[in-house]
Amino acid sequence: MNQQFEFGKQEESGSVRKPAKAALDAIAGYQPVLPKNVSLPGKSEVIPSGVEVPAGVVGRKPAGEMSEPAAAENPVEDVYGEAVRRKIQGNIIPGFNKDHQHFLFYRITDVSPAKKFLRAIAPHITSMYEALEFVRAHRALRMRLGVVEPPGLKATWVNIALSCPGIEKLAGAGTGEQFGEQSFRQGLAERSTYLGDPTNRAEPGHKSRWRVGGPDNEADILVIVASDTLPGLAGKVGLVRRWAAAYRLELIFEQRGDALPGTLRGHEHFGFKDGVSQPGVRGKVSSAPGDFITPRYFVAANAADSRPLIFAKPGQPLVWPGQVLLGEPRQHPNDPIIRGIPATNFPYWAARGSYLVCRRLNQNVSAFWNFAAEAAAQTGVPPVTLAASLVGRWPSGAPLMRTPASDNAALAGDPFANNHFVFDDNTRPSSLRLIPGYAGDSFAPASADMLGTVCPHFAHIRKMNPRDSATDLGKWQDTLRRLILRRGIPFGRPIVGIERPSAKLVAQERGLMFLCYGGTIEDQFEFLIRRWANSAIHPNFGGHDPIIGQRDERGNRARFVDLPTSSGTVRANLKAEWITPTGGGYFFAPPIEALVDVLGA
Amino acid sequence: MALVTRFETPGRLRDLPDSSPFYAAWHSKVDAELSFSVPGPVPGGGFYDASETVVNVAATRALVWMGFPRPLLTTDYPGGRREAFAKGDTRGADIPEGRTTQVEYLEWFTQRDKQGRITKVTFTTETPEYWHALFQAPEGPNRVVELYRQLLGNPGIDVAAITDSSGSYNPLNAWNTTRGIIHYIVETPPNTLHAALSLVSNAVADDILISDNFDNFEDFRLEPTSADPRVRTDIRGLARKGLQVTAAEPIGIYMGGWDDTGWSKPDGSPVGNYWKVIRPSGAAGPPALRLEYEVPASEGFVVSDIRIGGRPIEFGGQLAEHVTVLVNGVAGILA
Repeated sequence: MNQQFEFGKQEESGSVRKPAKAALDAIAGYQPVLPKNVSLPGKSEVIPSGVEVPAGVVGRKPAGEMSEPAAAENPVEDVYGEAVRRKIQGNIIPGFNKDHQHFLFYRITDVSPAKKFLRAIAPHITSMYEALEFVRAHRALRMRLGVVEPPGLKATWVNIALSCPGIEKLAGAGTGEQFGEQSFRQGLAERSTYLGDPTNRAEPGHKSRWRVGGPDNEADILVIVASDTLPGLAGKVGLVRRWAAAYRLELIFEQRGDALPGTLRGHEHFGFKDGVSQPGVRGKVSSAPGDFITPRYFVAANAADSRPLIFAKPGQPLVWPGQVLLGEPRQHPNDPIIRGIPATNFPYWAARGSYLVCRRLNQNVSAFWNFAAEAAAQTGVPPVTLAASLVGRWPSGAPLMRTPASDNAALAGDPFANNHFVFDDNTRPSSLRLIPGYAGDSFAPASADMLGTVCPHFAHIRKMNPRDSATDLGKWQDTLRRLILRRGIPFGRPIVGIERPSAKLVAQERGLMFLCYGGTIEDQFEFLIRRWANSAIHPNFGGHDPIIGQRDERGNRARFVDLPTSSGTVRANLKAEWITPTGGGYFFAPPIEALVDVLGA
Repeated sequence: MALVTRFETPGRLRDLPDSSPFYAAWHSKVDAELSFSVPGPVPGGGFYDASETVVNVAATRALVWMGFPRPLLTTDYPGGRREAFAKGDTRGADIPEGRTTQVEYLEWFTQRDKQGRITKVTFTTETPEYWHALFQAPEGPNRVVELYRQLLGNPGIDVAAITDSSGSYNPLNAWNTTRGIIHYIVETPPNTLHAALSLVSNAVADDILISDNFDNFEDFRLEPTSADPRVRTDIRGLARKGLQVTAAEPIGIYMGGWDDTGWSKPDGSPVGNYWKVIRPSGAAGPPALRLEYEVPASEGFVVSDIRIGGRPIEFGGQLAEHVTVLVNGVAGILA
């Protein structure tokens, strides 16, 4: 490191300085583009009940479609048949991924009616079966129609989760102790400063100021409603509200979330495509060859190529179901191909449930882009380039590793290319099974970047998933034990993509409802945040995660990144904060039948 | 980079006067450990002895890993993480059982008061080789006794307490096992300088593939620890780029960081900075060879009264989880 500079003051929400404004305007035009005729094969075209489908689009066979060779089936993975899939909540697997969502946080005031509420809502809880069938139908429609978003296929879904105190109220004192996950028992508020949240009560992110989930306003029940349409969302939210009122649940907070509009759909408020990289859950839908929960595309390039055993598609690693569902085979600590021992530290009725972390994170878009513009001026690169180095991807979602010099919307839109990179070595070409309409990944492959000169070690995507790199926990196989299934959605009105946003608009609250599911909280979500995002030296030296990293060392919240430049690294001290925690909670999403048989009984 | 003419002591320790022949002996010791190094053929990388081979350094890399033993945290104990931490602190008659689990090149000793409360946790990354060498120096035995007294705060320690019946230095003496800690004692797998350097050199000894068709996914490492695959993966990765690699001067294993964010006093406020780097003396922060965690008496509470993320400290291993071990590597091209 040969230079250092600082950014001395906390930004106010209402000020976007001129260079930052130019950068914001520049990214407003980005739009990911799916390669022409890309289609994603699906095994099933069964449309679940309650899903609206436009007439005439299901059941047509595309001309010239080729049969699919069976994907690798070693190791043998369990079949999650329909009966089992109907017990697992659908936001866990495959995830709701709806443009409109509503989160209702309730407190139980009277146990007996609260149990009735659970029994009433249980038949409306969307299962993995329904959601997965929808996703498969969606894929089939995209294939038939050749569009990104097939018209007419709409659904509205509901899921539910309970905090440890909520479970104790419903299932009896001592039930919470049966959950071996200590962080769940403690709750988010008690773990807040461990996650880097402010220790100083005067700070806006201090837990005492949270809208929900603080020491005095922890929720017992979280209901998630998700829909493709606003009327669908409003109808179901209204129903939940009426039941909750009738059964004397106290609504302590609610939050609407919406995908950003127009060309920034799927992006978060800073303007970057979000959720590009998710692990794929192992397991099969049926015993039919190739009928996996997560579609498999890799085939071995040669006899020594082990990637088909580790990845569903390029850059999408496979994780054993126990990493998200209690009681299922977990990741083996050392070998990704061997099924690990299932967890047993939970009450019997919680099997195939999942821990749910919810964090309401405010985003100060002005502060982020003002920093990017200022740091860019110091290092002589455009603000968008500087911002991309903080994320590790360009605003479109195209990875720096594959397009270091400029954004590439076509790359961003290619699901077989936009995650196809490793960090330590040159990325090997992928061998994929035949994908109708897909000509293959013709983008420039990623070159080795072991020292973080292209995608810095502090970059958000490198911090949260170091992929092939060694870490402070040793080998890359350990990283698979840390991955989570993210289910977040933005809230608040955007200013990215808005020409000349008014000061009033800029000052409004906006951010991310971060949600993730996992088989543990401590070894996955908390590990990623505390051990990697909040550390300047883990998993590798280079600075803190500038997107979500926090640090509170006896009230000192200073962080830094070592920006790579052509003449060495430049340390940029981050004084301003652009992410502020404002609520959340640690929850457990139980298997659906437990809502009636145990918690509602 | 010019040839290294004398390998430094870890942390540039000066336990004996500069004029002591100990330093030449230490150089020879390190040089001997590196003697099996053979710079690899271009374009393949290799492991080199910086006192024999000139390399233009292209990069430095800090290899870091967690101090608490990963094998304990990945074992399915019925009692979960608490049981893993308890294992790391298990006492024993001669060699504490818990100490034998401390396989990540970080060993610690948990000091408790009569009520069983933790009053101090001491961490070390010092090697037995260094202390053997120090003892063997002409003025060594007296100095080693002096250091034991100083570091353990016990003026009653004498040479008999740290030697065997033949008068040789006994690394498994009570003051380095059951009653305190000075340096590594773990033997399976060994926490030694030799083992650490072998880890680096063996990583590039024979089968490095220089190919675009090879990466870490093919180069499976199955060792259960954090340290071994961390070092091997990184060193092999650098060597695959055709780089020559070695440990950076001063060669040693260090504590590269410690993190007490989210630790709170009994009143809920953040803890003060209770870490103290003991060796090398005078250091305000990392890297450290000997580190103590003890609450000043003026605070009116002890280590056991501190909470980490809301959980009381019951075992020294809970602190070790937040201590980072570090080895510095350098990589370059043959000059």
